[in-house]
Amino acid sequence: MKIHVAGVGLTRFGELWNKSLEDLAMEAAGQAISDARIDKQKIGAIFVANMLSSKLYGQDHLGAVVTSALGINAAALRVEGACASGGLAVHMAVQSLLSGMYEHVLVVGVEKMTDVLPSLITTALSGAGSEDERRAGLTFPGLYALMARMHMQTYGTTREQMAAVAVKNHFHASLNDRAHFQFEISIEKVLTSPTISNPFTLFDASPISDGAAAVVLSSKPIKKGVVITGSAVATDTIGLDKRKNLTELTATTIAAKKAWKQSGVGVKNIDVMEVHDCFTIAEIMAMEDLGFCAKGEGGRFIESGQTRLGKKLPVNPSGGLKACGHPVGATGIKQIVEIVQQLRGVSGKRQVSGAKVGLTHNVGGTGATVVVHILQK
Amino acid sequence: MNSPVKNWREAKKLHIYPGKKGKIVTWTNVFVAPNGFEHEVPYKVAIVELLDGQRITAQVTDSDRDVEIGQKVIVVIRRIGKQNPDDVIEYGIKVKPL
Amino acid sequence: MTGIVSYGTYIPKYRIKLADIARSHKKNGDEITKALQVYEKAVASLDEDTATLAVEASRQALLNGNIDPKDIHAITVGSESHPYVVKPTATIVGELLGVSNNYFAADLEFACKAATAGMQFVWGLVETEKARNGLIIGSDVAQAKPGDILEYTASHAAGAFILGKKNVIAEIVDFVSYTSNTPDFWRRDGQQYPSHGGRFTGEPAYFHHVLGASKVLLEKVKMDASDFAHAVFHMPNGKFPKIAAKRLGFSKEQVATGFIVDRIGNPYSASSLVGLSAVLDIAKPEEYIFLCSYGSGAGSDAFVFKTTKEIITYQKRNKNPVVGQIEDKEYKAYRI
Repeated sequence: MKIHVAGVGLTRFGELWNKSLEDLAMEAAGQAISDARIDKQKIGAIFVANMLSSKLYGQDHLGAVVTSALGINAAALRVEGACASGGLAVHMAVQSLLSGMYEHVLVVGVEKMTDVLPSLITTALSGAGSEDERRAGLTFPGLYALMARMHMQTYGTTREQMAAVAVKNHFHASLNDRAHFQFEISIEKVLTSPTISNPFTLFDASPISDGAAAVVLSSKPIKKGVVITGSAVATDTIGLDKRKNLTELTATTIAAKKAWKQSGVGVKNIDVMEVHDCFTIAEIMAMEDLGFCAKGEGGRFIESGQTRLGKKLPVNPSGGLKACGHPVGATGIKQIVEIVQQLRGVSGKRQVSGAKVGLTHNVGGTGATVVVHILQK
Repeated sequence: MNSPVKNWREAKKLHIYPGKKGKIVTWTNVFVAPNGFEHEVPYKVAIVELLDGQRITAQVTDSDRDVEIGQKVIVVIRRIGKQNPDDVIEYGIKVKPL
Repeated sequence: MTGIVSYGTYIPKYRIKLADIARSHKKNGDEITKALQVYEKAVASLDEDTATLAVEASRQALLNGNIDPKDIHAITVGSESHPYVVKPTATIVGELLGVSNNYFAADLEFACKAATAGMQFVWGLVETEKARNGLIIGSDVAQAKPGDILEYTASHAAGAFILGKKNVIAEIVDFVSYTSNTPDFWRRDGQQYPSHGGRFTGEPAYFHHVLGASKVLLEKVKMDASDFAHAVFHMPNGKFPKIAAKRLGFSKEQVATGFIVDRIGNPYSASSLVGLSAVLDIAKPEEYIFLCSYGSGAGSDAFVFKTTKEIITYQKRNKNPVVGQIEDKEYKAYRI
């Protein structure tokens, strides 16, 4: 059985104050359903990825919220794994098709984050870490900053190398009409903007965004399309203080290994990828943890420029989390949408020429959950 | 209102920690704080490895200067964050430089 | 005989200079420090309070005395800045020390003499063997209204004393209290800062009760000032304790060791306890020590202590003498 991505949908990411969670979910879902050319009644199950709706707005039961808006009676549920909610929802959808119980399923990732003050978001996001971390007053930037400092101490990774991640991703996003930020920035801008949790400045961090992304996955698509050949999840300790190694996300390495095995491809086959750059250091660690460069070489790898559009191995052509935006529940699915469009050849100014095999890497918390997908034409 | 029950349950574990010594594994200085910690900004948080090998995450208190990886610290009991005026006060562990 | 088995002190490391406070209020720093005879005061960090200070001092008392927290069967905390109005500090401290559930506990309030009152009551529990060891604590992070004269001296510290009958380092020979209803200094429920009667806090308040209790006790034990190696008085400022000592016949030398207000200010219920700790840190065996506390409202608790031979071994174990804590300091800028 092959898992086809039959349809994709994506809203603009940004401060979308006049759109509700439901509006955004329907916009993305509608696009995906129409792209898949199926009748919505044929959808057997819906997987909704979202992290904060319950805590911030008191709205639980999102599976029913979506089926309600679509006007169907399909099976539906919310999937949550912090920032990996999207990737996890895709993984659940893949499993549901492999089980044979469903033939067409919809995955919608949606997040409304700009309706409340940033301080509330900062507080809410720390729910992705451990209780001890919250009690210590740690924020998400703080947690990744702890890892960044260790990476700098252990491997000599520099602030400039971290800034290069943000600069590259902003350049990519400047070519993406769905991105939250569509302007370029300089290394200097990253280094001199206000410190949020040292060594990170404001520009090391992904923004607070609204947005939604959706895919329709089918085992019997109307039209054959891009196929998901690897879907793997791995986890690690919820708190950083229980990790064996603070300079890597071990769960990434474990999930990637499973995905290579499932798909039969390896590092050298990947033409394009979307990785989880919630903070600049995260993309550097991802390059190492996924196996695209040696441990400790991530900084130099980015600095070399080979992960920029037009070069050897473009990473985050969408602009990544940093510049395309990070509506938490939507990100993992947006990554799939971006790779599908790249493999379909419809990415316009951001097209990676001849892309045949792509990878997505979606992380929850400080690497407590990692989801890796491999897609092929 | 915070949970007096949770507060009670967590407090029972505290008495074994004060006075334990350790060193800083990694640290950061937080400038943008979550709710309840704004009044302490900027504050340092570290992962500390105690002499017995256990690692803990805690705020570094009584330290206006920067700290360093490897710096020796000692565990103390302090107030954690700021609660509402009608909430139960939360006490917890922090570390201070030796 | 029931006595002090061990003790601990905690003086926070931050100091504010009185001259800085004066400058902020556009007053003359020299005049104020001269009038009060106090140069700087100790202040706790934002994340410290009466309970956390009490835990620090008590932990030292337990460590220095090699006492298992499970052997503490009474705890009193005297303070005018308890974290809760209703919910005892004593039990918060007890749990953080790891005591069992078998203990007497209560919080006390009697302004700056709340802790010495605790010493009197817990003495009773230990003497009658209802409690094997009792922990009495004086701890304060009391505030004063910005610009008020009290702002210059109100400081933060904690003292903890463990009483028992075994391994006593200083016997409690005798004690009395002299008490009246005198409104010299008070704080109403719901008010953030205390109020006081200005000069009324002098003769009719501090001196009347300190001298009252001291004279009664000295007569009771048939001793006079010359019988004592050291004397400690409650120190609301640098002048009052020296005047009281002189009037009772104590010399400057006798008062010197326990005189700590000029460098750490007045930590309210911890004041006389920290003074007593400073004396015990260096006292010789078989020496008599006189102590008289004062609490507004008003009353004084006077004590006669006699050190034993055990004090020498204790002093060797004491990791945190008062002198060291006074010297270990870091200045903070004054901000209203």
